[in-house]
Amino acid sequence: MAYVANELHLVVCVKVVPKPEEVRVDPQSRRLDRAGARSEINPPDLNAVEFALQIKDRFGGKVSILSMGPPFFEPYLRICLAMGADHVYLLSDRLFGGADTLATTYTLAKAIHRLEPVHLVFCGEESSDGATGQVPPGLAEWLGYQQITLVSDIEVNMSQGVVRGRRERQGGYEILEVPLPAVISVKTGCNEPRFWDYRLKPWAFAPERVTVWSASDMDVDPEFIGLAGSPTQVVGLEQAPSRERKRIMLSGSPEEVAQQLAARLREVLPLSG
Amino acid sequence: MTQVEHLIVDDARWDTLYQRTRGAVALCYQCGVCTALCPWGQVREGKPLSVRSLLRRAQLGVPDDHEDIWLCTACAQCEALCPRGVPVAEVFQSLRGMAWEERRVPKGLPSVLWSITWNNNPWSQPPSHRSLWAKGLEVPRFDPNEHEVLYYVGCTAAYDRRAQKVARALVKLFQAAGVRFGTLGDDEPCCGDATKSLGYAPYFEEIVQNAAQVFAQNGVRRLVATSPHCFDTFRNYAPRYQADFEAEHYTQFIDRCLSEGRLRFSREVPLRVTFHDPCFLGRRNGEYEAPRRILDAIPGLEQVEMARSRQDALCCGGGGGRMWMETPADERFANLRVQDALATGAQVLVTACPFCIACFEESVKTVGAGNLRVMDVAELAAMAIE
Repeated sequence: MAYVANELHLVVCVKVVPKPEEVRVDPQSRRLDRAGARSEINPPDLNAVEFALQIKDRFGGKVSILSMGPPFFEPYLRICLAMGADHVYLLSDRLFGGADTLATTYTLAKAIHRLEPVHLVFCGEESSDGATGQVPPGLAEWLGYQQITLVSDIEVNMSQGVVRGRRERQGGYEILEVPLPAVISVKTGCNEPRFWDYRLKPWAFAPERVTVWSASDMDVDPEFIGLAGSPTQVVGLEQAPSRERKRIMLSGSPEEVAQQLAARLREVLPLSG
Repeated sequence: MTQVEHLIVDDARWDTLYQRTRGAVALCYQCGVCTALCPWGQVREGKPLSVRSLLRRAQLGVPDDHEDIWLCTACAQCEALCPRGVPVAEVFQSLRGMAWEERRVPKGLPSVLWSITWNNNPWSQPPSHRSLWAKGLEVPRFDPNEHEVLYYVGCTAAYDRRAQKVARALVKLFQAAGVRFGTLGDDEPCCGDATKSLGYAPYFEEIVQNAAQVFAQNGVRRLVATSPHCFDTFRNYAPRYQADFEAEHYTQFIDRCLSEGRLRFSREVPLRVTFHDPCFLGRRNGEYEAPRRILDAIPGLEQVEMARSRQDALCCGGGGGRMWMETPADERFANLRVQDALATGAQVLVTACPFCIACFEESVKTVGAGNLRVMDVAELAAMAIE
C-alpha cells in the first residue's frame, strides 16, 4: 500500500527515568525508590525521537510524543518538542499507577489507537529503570502492528508502504522488512540525537502543546490498567553493588604501555591458544 | 584555466551575523594579521586556518559550511594584534551558532550539550559524583556566615582524574593559609564555557544566568575558580545578569594570601620550571604575574621563561571547545609548546589550567619528551608547604 508522505504520522513512546546511579531499592515495598533522584529522558528514547525526526525531515508528516506517567514528566517531554516533534500526549492518572508492562502496553496501545492513522511507532529498546524490553513487542501485539526490535538503522519506502530495519544481534545483524504500520524498537546510541533548538523553546513550552489524558478520557477497561491490570508480582528485589573501576594508570613509552596492557588483558581474558 | 569558486551571497545571513556580533564583524578590513598569527599555520603546513578569508566570507553572507569554523581555540593571539579590534573568537562562535541552527555541527558535539543538560557537566559524568574528588578531605559545604570564599571547583577538576589532584592541592593550600572556604558540593552549577565555546549562545546565557542565581541564593560574594575558563565566564559574562559576586582565579587568590602573609612556603622545591600562560588567564584576562609571583615565592625553585611567553604564549589547543573535538596527533599546538618548554632546559612545564595540563601530558607522550613533567602551579605550591 502506497503512502502519501506528508500524511505520515510517527509516534514516539518516551519515558522519563531516574538517573540510574541515584536510584535506591526499597526492600519493604520491593520497588525502586526514586525520591530525590534526578530525572532524565530514557537514553534510547532520545535515539528513537531522532529516528522519527530524520524521517519527518525527509518525508514530512508529524511526530507525536506519547508517554504514561505523573505530571512532572511534562517539562522533559517538551524537550522533544523543541527537538522538532509536533505534539505531546501524556497519559496521567493515579489509576494508571503501579502498571507492569502488560498494563502499560495496553494503556499506550489504547492511546495509539486513538491517534490513528499511525504509520510508525518508535520506542527505545528498553528503559534504564525497568529494563525489560517488553514494551515494544507488547505494543505491537495489542495494536496488531508489525514489529522490528533492536533496530540500529532504518529506511522507509513510502511508495511500497514498507519499513526496513537493521536489527542488531549477537555476532551479526539482520535486515528485516515489514509493511506499515509497525513498531520499531531502537538500539541505545545508534544515532546522535540532535540537541534541542532554543528558537523552538517558547513554542514548545506553550500550554497547548501537551494534551493530558486521564483514564476517563480514554476507552479503557479498568480491569486492564494500573495495578489491577498487572499480573506481574515482584517477589524479590536486591541492590547489586556497583562495580568500582580499577583505574590503573600505565606508564612508559607507547610500546611499553601496549605490552603492559596486553599482559593485563591476558590475565583477565580466558584466551585460547 | 583557473576554476573560480562560485559564491552565493545572502544578505539575511550577514544581517544576523552583524546583529549577533553587535557590528564587530564589520570592522575587519582583511589585513590578514590574524591568519599570520594563528597557531594552526604552525601545525598544518600549507593549510593554515585562514581567519581573514572566513571573516570576509562571513561579511559577504556566504552560507558557510566550512569545517574550519570549528578550529578556532579562542586563544586570542590574533585578537591581541588585530588593528581593528575584531573579537575574532566571538565571530567564530556566532558562525558556529548559525551552524547549530542549520544542523551542521561535527559529530559528538550535540552529546556534549546533552551531557550538560542531564549531568550538569560536559564530561558525561554522573552529577551525584561531583564531589567525589574531595574524598577524605575536609571540604565543608559553603556557608556565607562562616566562609570568606566559595571554592568553585568546576567540572574538569571535579571529574578528571588528573585535574582532581589540582583541586586537592588547592584544598591543602587553603587550609595552610587558614582560608575559611566551602564548596557547593553536588549542587555546584556548570559554568557553561563549553556551550559558549561551541557557539550555542542561548544555552550559555541560560546557564550563566542560572549559575548567578545559585550563587545569589547561597549568599556567595566571592568565588575562587580552579580553571581560567570558569573564571573567565564568571568574571566577564555573569555581570550581565546582575550577579553580585566577585570572581577570581585561584592564582590571584593564592598570590594575595602570600602578599598578606597568610601563606608561607617553607619547604624547598629544587626544580627548574617554566610557566605556560593559559590563554583564558593571560591574554583573555590580563593576569600574567600572579602565577609567576607564586612560583617565585617557592624556595629553591628556579623559574625560566619560554621564548614566547605572556602575551605571546602559544595556546595549548584545548580552548574554544577543542577539548571535545579530535585533533590529529601531529597537528596539536601542545606538541610545539612542549618543544618550547624542552628548549628552556626546564624539568617541569607548569601551568594553571586543567585543559592545558591534559593537552600537554598528551603531547609529552606524542613527542617523546618523557622526562618533562607537566604540573599545575597549585601542585608545586602544595609541595612547598610543610
